[in-house]
Amino acid sequence: MSVSSEELVLRRAGDRIRVNAPRLHFLTGKSLIRLHDGAIVPFDFQLSIAAGSKTNVVQRAFERFTVSYDVWEEKFSVVRLRDFRKSASNLTANAAETWCLENLLAPASALGDRELWARLEVRSAEPKERSSFPYSDPGISITTLIGIFSRPPRPAQDHWAFDSAAFHLADLKP
Amino acid sequence: MKFVVLSILAAAALVAQSSEPADVLPDQPQATDLNINSRYTVESISFVGQHQYRLSTAARDEMHRLIGAKLSTEALNRLARRIRGELRATEVTFKLMRGGEANHVKVLLDVDNRRSNFDLSIPTFSYNSRQGWTGVAEAATTISGNTFTAGVVSDGDTLAERYTGFKLRYDRLSLGTDRIRLGFEFDSYHELYDRATLVALDNGASSSLGAGAYRSRTNFEPSATFVLAKPLTLTLGLSFEELAPQVSAARSESANVVVNTLRYHQSWEDSDANNQELDAGYNLRAATNLLSSDLAYTRHLLNVRYKFRHQQQSVEVTLMAGVIYGNAPLFERFILGDSTTLRGWNKYDLDPLGGNRVVHGSVTYGYHIMRVFYDAGSVWDQGKSPEAKHSTGIGISSGLGISQKGAFLLAVAFPIRQGRADPVFIAGMNY
Repeated sequence: MSVSSEELVLRRAGDRIRVNAPRLHFLTGKSLIRLHDGAIVPFDFQLSIAAGSKTNVVQRAFERFTVSYDVWEEKFSVVRLRDFRKSASNLTANAAETWCLENLLAPASALGDRELWARLEVRSAEPKERSSFPYSDPGISITTLIGIFSRPPRPAQDHWAFDSAAFHLADLKP
Repeated sequence: MKFVVLSILAAAALVAQSSEPADVLPDQPQATDLNINSRYTVESISFVGQHQYRLSTAARDEMHRLIGAKLSTEALNRLARRIRGELRATEVTFKLMRGGEANHVKVLLDVDNRRSNFDLSIPTFSYNSRQGWTGVAEAATTISGNTFTAGVVSDGDTLAERYTGFKLRYDRLSLGTDRIRLGFEFDSYHELYDRATLVALDNGASSSLGAGAYRSRTNFEPSATFVLAKPLTLTLGLSFEELAPQVSAARSESANVVVNTLRYHQSWEDSDANNQELDAGYNLRAATNLLSSDLAYTRHLLNVRYKFRHQQQSVEVTLMAGVIYGNAPLFERFILGDSTTLRGWNKYDLDPLGGNRVVHGSVTYGYHIMRVFYDAGSVWDQGKSPEAKHSTGIGISSGLGISQKGAFLLAVAFPIRQGRADPVFIAGMNY
């Protein structure tokens, strides 16, 4: 079975956990306007797994994806940053959003047979950070991403959060 | 002193040049530009609404270099930052549109010039545990290129006397061209003197003093500022100052001067997050009988400030040198031992009447909000030997943005002298 609440669907991908959030649409609003204007917009993702209770987080996965919009092709392009580069282009908005989630993987090891909860958080980069964003250097440290999610989102930041229902690792389908 | 100043200016220019490789190769293709549109060629760069702005040659050259090259988000952002600085705009952003040719894009720059036309501000606010409070509050409004400013002042910091009163100012921001500005200022102040100053006046401690204690002074000062070559400006003006005597039976004295100020202000920011700022100025005030001045004197003052900031660290160096020839009144004389010079010293201990010669230097190192500073200088009268004084201090400071506008400082400063350590607490804004 796959585990899902109304908002978050989890699947097993080998020794990692992958999520899908059908109601998540982050390529909207001001971010979408900026993309249509030819700017690039970074989005930060955090997937956290809690065990025993919803507040006891035992695993986290962080990723930053930068999205741009091809003004000629009218399609989106996404680049995954951090350790290594992985990218996709010629995507619709929905496909770009799905691609980001498919490339966000949390380790499943050491989770055991406990009751688990998952939480997905997505934030657009802060306006202040965008102005100094390294457009040609994809390097971003996990420490930076931890720092970003350790503080509440700023009012000017778009942000989304989704929670799963309780699940056990053994119940997840590939 | 001249050699020191010239060396700093030359070094700053060299550092600025070496830290702005972007100006040399702003359109160098980036192998890893994250913007999918970086594969397209820039066909044109223009402003939203076909606006025309007066930009520097360097900015226009940068725009031309980007046209015909592959799009670089980083280079466009750098251009937008430069234009924002030159136009003093709130924000400059860019938009991409399909070009007339396949695989070409047009760049539209959007300049946001929205600014409040009414501004309440506190340009200066400080507290010195020995010398008390100083504050300036201003209200300004701008209507069609005309700025009207009204302010109240109580300043016990910058002169040998405390002066309290108001000032009114009118500025015409451009006169047919942005290169000329006009200003008219009227000030009216009431003076208060420290006991040490009054005692020194009674004792005739300074033979070079042009007037004794005065009860109040009024000043009318028309001026014109010319932008010689950005960022170099020259201000020419006249100041008609009337000093009302302490005793009403005595007659007023006037100090009518020609004012010249040459100012250079430049700031740089490079892609390595290095920020540099250089502010240099020369001010000449010459009181002459041609303006029916009762007092005759010439006052020269040179100021240089250089600041380098990299991420959380900063170093700031300031230098000041001044000389007065003739007999200048108290408000023109140099003092040290205020909230920005020889911090920790009491200005009334150094010289309760100020001096007609001054040299001062200061170095401040900052890490995050921590500040450590060292001040050295001397104020004296011609014919006497200068005596160098030193002070040091530690504090915290923070402000808004790179320019650190609205910066505040809380510090404890110590005069360096034999015998005892006598700390002074300093608090202030907008140093």
